[in-house]
Formats: sequence, C-alpha cells, structure tokens
Amino acid sequence: MRLPEIDRGDSLFSRLLIGFISFVSRMRLPDAARVAFYHKDFSAPIGRWTQAAMRGPSAWSVSERELMAALVAKWNSCPFCLGAHGAVAAKGMERSLVDTVIADYRTAPISEGLKATLQFLEIMTLRPAELTAENARAVLDAGVSPEALQDAAAVAATFNIITRYANALGFVLPTADEFDRAATMLLKRGYAS
Amino acid sequence: MTTQTHADHDALAKALRDRVLDRPGESDRALRQAAAQRSASGPAMAEPYDVLVREIGEASYRVTDAQVASVLQAAGSEKAAFEIIAAAAVGAGLLRWQQAVKALNEAKDAPAGN
Repeated sequence: MRLPEIDRGDSLFSRLLIGFISFVSRMRLPDAARVAFYHKDFSAPIGRWTQAAMRGPSAWSVSERELMAALVAKWNSCPFCLGAHGAVAAKGMERSLVDTVIADYRTAPISEGLKATLQFLEIMTLRPAELTAENARAVLDAGVSPEALQDAAAVAATFNIITRYANALGFVLPTADEFDRAATMLLKRGYAS
Repeated sequence: MTTQTHADHDALAKALRDRVLDRPGESDRALRQAAAQRSASGPAMAEPYDVLVREIGEASYRVTDAQVASVLQAAGSEKAAFEIIAAAAVGAGLLRWQQAVKALNEAKDAPAGN
C-alpha cells in the first residue's frame, strides 16, 4: 500500500474497525476494504455504483457479474482484483469453470449471450475508442436484453476504475486462502461500506 | 436470463462524477478534472502529475512507488494524493461507460440486421 494512511485508517473509528474485522476474521483486512473505509465522504459514490452493479437487480447472476469483474481485472493486469473476484465467482459456480473462462472465454462452455457480452466488455476495456454499435448489436443478437448489456457495462466501468486505483495504490496481494475467506465476506457484506 | 428492473447506472455515474470531479476536496478541483481528462487521453498535465495519471489511464500495473511518492509530495497530503489517483481512475472508467452507452443507444436506434 503506497499511502500508509489508507493502510492504518484515517480516523479512530476506522482504525478500530480495521483492527476488529482483522481480529474476528483472523486475516489482514484486504486493501480494497481499507480503501472503502478511507475518506468516505469522497469515495462513497464509487462504492454505491459498484454495489448497484454487482448486487443490484439484474438479469445476470452475482457469479456472472463477479466473473465479468475478474476478466476486467485480467485485461487491466490487476492481480488483486482478479484473485478477489474470481474467488467470489467460484462461490456460485465451479472453480474449474471460472478458471476456464478466465483463461479463454471464447472457447469456454458458457452461453452465447455471456460470450458476446464478454467480447463487448473486452473492447470497452482495452480499446474503448473502437467500441461501436455493431459490437452492441452482436450482443443483442445473441439474446441479451439492452438492460442486461447496460448492467454488464456498469460492471466493466466500475472495475475499470477499481482495478486502476488498486494497481496505482499497490494493493497487497492476499494468499489463495485469504481470497477465499474474503470472498465469503464480500458475498455477505457487498461493496458499499 | 429474464428481463428485470435494473439499477439507474446513469444516475450513479453522474453522482460519482459530481463528487469526485466537481465538488470541493482536499485537492484542487481543477487538478482532479485535469487528471480525469488526462487518463481518458486528454491533454498533458504538469509534472509530477502527468506521468502518474497517464500511467493510471494506460497501464496502471506499471505505476511505481516513486511516481506516487512524487505526487504525494506535490499534492501535500495523502488524502489529496488519493483524490488525484481516484480522479484519474474515474476518468478512465467514465470514458469507457460513455462509449458503451453510446454504442448501445446507437444499436437500439438502428433496426436489427443493419
């Protein structure tokens, strides 16, 4: 963590909360949660949009949305978010399927709608200036509703923000076991602190 | 998949932009706005901000301790440095959101098969 104040908390309440959660969960509170507790007046809208995109009403399951987040993390080379959100996705689908989709979604055994959506999100993430109506039309033609495509784009937009500050701030990488335990917390608590 | 009510993402994106880029903070508002534009391929900023903010937009995994330390020193506090880093990330994310919404709206407006 490149800003120590985020690591230790910026108020007595935050410091106590970080200490308490770390003690109860018997692991270091992941940096994503520390950021969510930091400078809350400023950063709360990021958490609110992320919560709506990841846990709000949508045609996509929570696991499908977590898988989209993990892929944005892969495309943006963010090991923290790839590990964290792959672990949450694996709470609702086979870990082997999560790994297969992350390795190559084009050949993975997933629906054509999800495949077409991931293709849209990949262009959106890596080459946004090239994103066209034809790309969106290909997703709609695969049976995805406009609302569902917009929901998926919101997942990608929020994780194009989160992966960038995770990398820039130098989030500490948890172990596989810590990712798994943090995934249970993320499923239960969500993203808005 | 079934069609369901879904979140008002445009309103949530606008609230995010308003807070991070348009309201007072620990850092200068104009600096945050410049960072958001720069990370979305906008005009260069003064150093030491430009190298960090451009990196956040293009390849955030390449950000270094030294780049963040230089911005921390120039910004004057950790909260101000955090705001500039967040603004750069938000600029890159909102650019992608706008591109996606534009592509989707154009696809909805055009008859299927065109």
